[in-house]
Amino acid sequence: MKKVITAIVAVVILALMAWGYAQSASHHGHGEAKVNPKETIFEHLGDTYGWEVPFSHTKKIPLPIIAFDQQGALHCFMSSRVTGGDTWQDGDASFKISTDADGGYKGKLVQVLGDGSEYRPWDFSITKNVLGILIAAALVILMAMSLRRWYKREGMKGPRGFKGMLELIIDFVYTDTIKPIMGKEAPKYGPYLLTAFFFILTMNLLGLIVIFPGGANLTGNLAVTMVLALITFFVTNLTGTKHYWKDIFWPDVPMALKCPVPMMPLIEFLGILTKPLALMVRLFANMLGGHMVVIVLILLIMVFAQMFGTAVGAGTAIISVLLSLFMLVLDTLISFIQAFVFTLLSTIFISMAHIHEEPKAVTE
Amino acid sequence: MELFKPEFGLVFWMFLAFACLYFILAKWAWPFIIKSMDDRAKLIDEGVAYAQEAKSKLDNAKRDADALLADARKQQADILREAAKMKTDIIEQAKAEAAVEAKKVTDAAQVTIEQSRKESEHQLRQDVGAYALQIAEQVIRRNMSDDKAQRDLVKKLLNEVETSN
Repeated sequence: MKKVITAIVAVVILALMAWGYAQSASHHGHGEAKVNPKETIFEHLGDTYGWEVPFSHTKKIPLPIIAFDQQGALHCFMSSRVTGGDTWQDGDASFKISTDADGGYKGKLVQVLGDGSEYRPWDFSITKNVLGILIAAALVILMAMSLRRWYKREGMKGPRGFKGMLELIIDFVYTDTIKPIMGKEAPKYGPYLLTAFFFILTMNLLGLIVIFPGGANLTGNLAVTMVLALITFFVTNLTGTKHYWKDIFWPDVPMALKCPVPMMPLIEFLGILTKPLALMVRLFANMLGGHMVVIVLILLIMVFAQMFGTAVGAGTAIISVLLSLFMLVLDTLISFIQAFVFTLLSTIFISMAHIHEEPKAVTE
Repeated sequence: MELFKPEFGLVFWMFLAFACLYFILAKWAWPFIIKSMDDRAKLIDEGVAYAQEAKSKLDNAKRDADALLADARKQQADILREAAKMKTDIIEQAKAEAAVEAKKVTDAAQVTIEQSRKESEHQLRQDVGAYALQIAEQVIRRNMSDDKAQRDLVKKLLNEVETSN
């Protein structure tokens, strides 16, 4: 009985919310600008100066902008100066956020030069994504340090609750994955891999939360995954053994495959480059895809309400909300899996660059 | 498409954040956490091994005690059996000794009886002799004249002796 009542209440609330959504959407549509799905999607997935607050399109939490202008002078000001489409005169340079779709800097901070042309300055602003990264890093430090404090205080007692879960995950990643692959090198590379895992996991999960501390599409941004993949790339190749390089430039294959035309070395060399590329694109595409599907499902409400009226929009809302709920649950799983896959592949790549003993070639 | 163009500022901050995160965690968090976890795992493993050993020791002790008990029982049975045997032996011996003693006693009695019989025979002979002498005296005293009366008397007396003997 209790369950039935709960279900009925939930459906009623959902329907009311859907109705409200659809009505506002259709009203929106009739009134002013039409819903532009593509723009909305990329606005939500992209990086912005300032952080949106719920239920408002114009109000944003201001974030600091740090930029070096054309002369190399440093400029710092809050993003609220420019987010409204204004031009801000800071010292002898004026800045605004470009709206020019052809200039290639749309949505980015540009310096307006004397002749009216736009110059993209060296931009070190604390944007939404940068702040998101810093929050994620702070959370990871907080989690790790809380576990450390527990061990300091309680010694041999097993942690409970959240710390117990953390320990379980560390055990799963380190003891069950990194250690068997790395062997006795695990303590050397374990910290990097664990850091990468928890950083990615935290960023992934933060991306699923819609309001302030979350909501930034971090791991669905190519810059973020590129940095992570590059670090793995450098760790792999800078610590690679002689044998690793020998296997790339002079592999154990018939002479014809490597002497006149260096076919195998070329393929192996490409392999060095494709490994981090795959790491970068896999994480990026998975997280971006998840976010995009949720946004599209929600946008369907607006689009349908605009096209067929409020009632259809309301109907769509129920389905959309349920589907996006399912997608978010799935994304939670994907967040973990992708963080784990990144760590696992990094572990394998690094350990593959550390072959010491010469494996006996079987030629006969 | 802005998403596919890595922004320099973001790359910079991401790298900086990751580097700081790595140095902080690699210095203070992960090695300590991993060591603590390993220590605890080792402690638990040792505890389990210890408990198993203790259990096997206990089982062994039980088995030993059982063996000891069985041994003691066997010894007890042996001792009892021996005691019983000893008892019968002693009785047998005593019996034999008693028989020998009894035989000695009877032999001695027989000897005594024989002796006393011989003595009494001897006595009797003396008595008979004395008696015969008395008779002969009387006969001689009474009937020196009458031979026939003497002879009858002797015969009569002899008959009397014979019947009394």
